[in-house]
Amino acid sequence: MEQIGYAQSQPNLDAVFAALADSTRRAILSRLANGQASVNELAEPFDISQPAVSKHLKVLERAGLIERDIDEQRRPARLKAENMVAAVDWLAEFRAFWGTSFDQLDDVLRHMKQTQAKEADHE
Amino acid sequence: MSELPEYVVDREFDAPREMVWRAWTDPELLARWYGPGVETIIHKFELEPGGVWLNEMKWGENSMLSKVVFNEVAPPERLVWHHHSATDSQWNTISNPKMPDWPRILLTTVTFADNGSRTKVRLSWVPFEATDAEIACFAGAMDGFGKGWGAGFAIIDELLAELQAEHT
Repeated sequence: MEQIGYAQSQPNLDAVFAALADSTRRAILSRLANGQASVNELAEPFDISQPAVSKHLKVLERAGLIERDIDEQRRPARLKAENMVAAVDWLAEFRAFWGTSFDQLDDVLRHMKQTQAKEADHE
Repeated sequence: MSELPEYVVDREFDAPREMVWRAWTDPELLARWYGPGVETIIHKFELEPGGVWLNEMKWGENSMLSKVVFNEVAPPERLVWHHHSATDSQWNTISNPKMPDWPRILLTTVTFADNGSRTKVRLSWVPFEATDAEIACFAGAMDGFGKGWGAGFAIIDELLAELQAEHT
């Protein structure tokens, strides 16, 4: 009995979850979903300094959630969707496992009740 | 030691508690609902403290093995088990191939409470004998459900729509 069917290379989801655990970083990602932006542009809506934004961007970059241009002066940050999708897929899978299983349990219980009612009729 | 992260799911079922308990503890019934849209094969099911439930889920060409070791069996109120989320073909616990830092063992508590002719079920998961990395991974992932993942999921929906548009 082999364990088969797993995707071979997975991004580092642990780093992804750690990166997503912070509300400022989620807000930054949300902003980047609308298009690339520089540190200045990203710092603007938040009550935090540019160095603080840069730090958040480093965490997001390490987690593979964003990428930044090396050559350009303003180094705009851009969203990288794949890792985020993988992380959310994992969570969705965990949630769907129980959500869908519970729906199936509803059906099993309904069936058990019907069987019990039928048996009661015959007695 | 700091408190361990816990994740809880509540669900109510429209059936009396004895019946719900039976659906959870009779392997023939359990195999009919456990595992979403897969074929569930229960290779062994020993409903007693120290007993094991060896589970296989099959879909298409895929197969996934997991193991449960029962700690506490108190009908019709409470089930406590260690859930080993992935095993090799000899049923030895391994790290999850999809997510290495996912806790290898989750202490799972299922409680069944009467609510008139209905039953309230609560499931709780806490990492067991976990490394710091496993605890952090679980906390990060589960935190997402409670706080802020709403926004995260909204972003994902947009991204997925975008990706799908690119691929078509």
